[in-house]
Amino acid sequence: MTTHALAQLVNDIREVQAPVLAAMLIGACAAKFSRVVRAGSLDAGLGPTELFPLPLRRPAAVTVCAIELAMGLALVVTASPAARDGTGALDGAAADGARIAATAFFLVAMCALIELRGRRPDAGCGCFGDLSRRPVGVRSIARSALLAVAALASIGGPGLRLPPPGPGAALLLGILCIEFLVIALLSPEAGEALVRLGYSEPCELRNVPASRTLSALRRSPQWSRQASVIVGDAPADMWRELCWRYVVYPGRLTGADADVVFAVQVKQRRPVIHSAVIPREKPGAASARSEDASPAAHGAAAPADGATGQTVKASVPPEVGRVSAMPISKTL
Amino acid sequence: MARHRRVAGHPGVLTGTVLDASPHILTICRADRVERLTLPPSTRVWKGVQAHPTTLIAGDRVVVRLDTAQRGVADRIWANIGRVTGVILERGGDSILVDSGNPGERQVIVIQKGAESRIQVRFPRLEPGYLIDVIGLRRGGVIEGLVPATSQPAYRASQVPRPRQLRRHASSVLDGSATWHEPVDRPDDAEGIAYPMLDPETGGGEQPAPGPGCERMPYLSVGSLLEVRNECTGLSRVLTVTGCGAMARLFCDRCVTCGTSPRGRVADLTLASFVALGGELERGCFNATIAVGR
Repeated sequence: MTTHALAQLVNDIREVQAPVLAAMLIGACAAKFSRVVRAGSLDAGLGPTELFPLPLRRPAAVTVCAIELAMGLALVVTASPAARDGTGALDGAAADGARIAATAFFLVAMCALIELRGRRPDAGCGCFGDLSRRPVGVRSIARSALLAVAALASIGGPGLRLPPPGPGAALLLGILCIEFLVIALLSPEAGEALVRLGYSEPCELRNVPASRTLSALRRSPQWSRQASVIVGDAPADMWRELCWRYVVYPGRLTGADADVVFAVQVKQRRPVIHSAVIPREKPGAASARSEDASPAAHGAAAPADGATGQTVKASVPPEVGRVSAMPISKTL
Repeated sequence: MARHRRVAGHPGVLTGTVLDASPHILTICRADRVERLTLPPSTRVWKGVQAHPTTLIAGDRVVVRLDTAQRGVADRIWANIGRVTGVILERGGDSILVDSGNPGERQVIVIQKGAESRIQVRFPRLEPGYLIDVIGLRRGGVIEGLVPATSQPAYRASQVPRPRQLRRHASSVLDGSATWHEPVDRPDDAEGIAYPMLDPETGGGEQPAPGPGCERMPYLSVGSLLEVRNECTGLSRVLTVTGCGAMARLFCDRCVTCGTSPRGRVADLTLASFVALGGELERGCFNATIAVGR
């Protein structure tokens, strides 16, 4: 490789540092903000803010988040060649100012992580909110050091230009990919993020709003079939057992009061729905109009242990029991 | 593991107020009748400490576990026992105001000088925002704290650690710790279980604590049935979910009554149900297995 080619490579590497640093800073701020929104409190902060006295933790967390966002935006705004060269609205010194500030920030962050590791070895760094729960390790500290070096290298570097399609663009893209790969290898959060991306909660642990259950029920063929029996608009009762939500509507069947029971699977889309009509005079007896099962299949006529009387178990189609592997235990 | 043995019929637990106590006979007033119980020498009494039956006086609120072999004989008696489990709201001198998770309910616990060191060893941070779980003697609306029921979690109530994610379906049988609570707005001998993972959409009047809590558990509702087994005694009962164990889900502790429970709190039983299953109230918990949908 010639000296000119090497100089060009170094130049390219320095060129991409500003957007990489900006992505890291804005991503960190967004992850922290997301954690605060989910927890509903600013007190849910993690990381070096744990080193502060209790009254100072909240302002410290807000300050860190604000600095990250401001620096990330400053790096993006000053990354263009016009801003970098001072030919646009911004003076060229603004770009270097943003990069110097980023260098200082990552150096301070590295020192804070070393301090946190010494004083609170059990605490996570909190750099990326909930993803950073693992205790601070060498990797997290090395990442801060790497980002500080990257920010230092970008000072005085060129503005970011879109290269023409061809080897130049491929080289720039390759540098970006390699740098993000190195950062990912130094980030304990990467593994956690990949797990979460591919994670789907088991149905019995999933929280699905009741409104979604009701709207899915109203759109279902089971609802249409039982519509003539149902006499009320609002459910008389609704409860949850593992993967199923049960909804009971008041009804009239051949002149007598009845309960129309729907079992709606807890699922975001196209839930399985079963229905049964139970005459109120014979609570727990098999349905006169059970949609999905033969009376023999109801099998589970024995009430649940606990002597609370007849249970809905006897009147719900067997598919419910098979899918959830659980009988309904609540009395109707 | 103790052999599975199902309790049949009456749970063998009485609650009431002492009308008269002699060394051999205890007369208690229950909601519907007066009951006379024989006190053999083997009867054990707890009234702040292990005590003699003669320490019982008229007006004491007692929980009695009957001898299963002999009719009308008291095996175990707890007098004026109370428990405060919740989040510390305020501390003023020796009294602490605690949010126990029930809407509008606040409890006051007073820690006297004699018990202070014993409690502070296990609960070093008696500051607002931290959790507390202490057993003591109930004196009207105030509890005199005597025994720490667990060790204080290091985190604040608002920063409960996230449970690990489950990739498979949650088991229908959960091993963990079963604790007890005093029923609110219900008689002392009410049976039931406060379950920590009620469906937030149909959970009833109580507001579950935010977040998933310490343990990933399947969603249920008030009215669901659970089979609870005391792994220390082998006794089991099917109990109805009567409330939300809002505080139970915040404690990531373990019960060590007979070995270490593999999980934290999976059930918060009413006082009577806890005693009926062979639990010792002053210990605060027993190792339990709960089976969903039995």
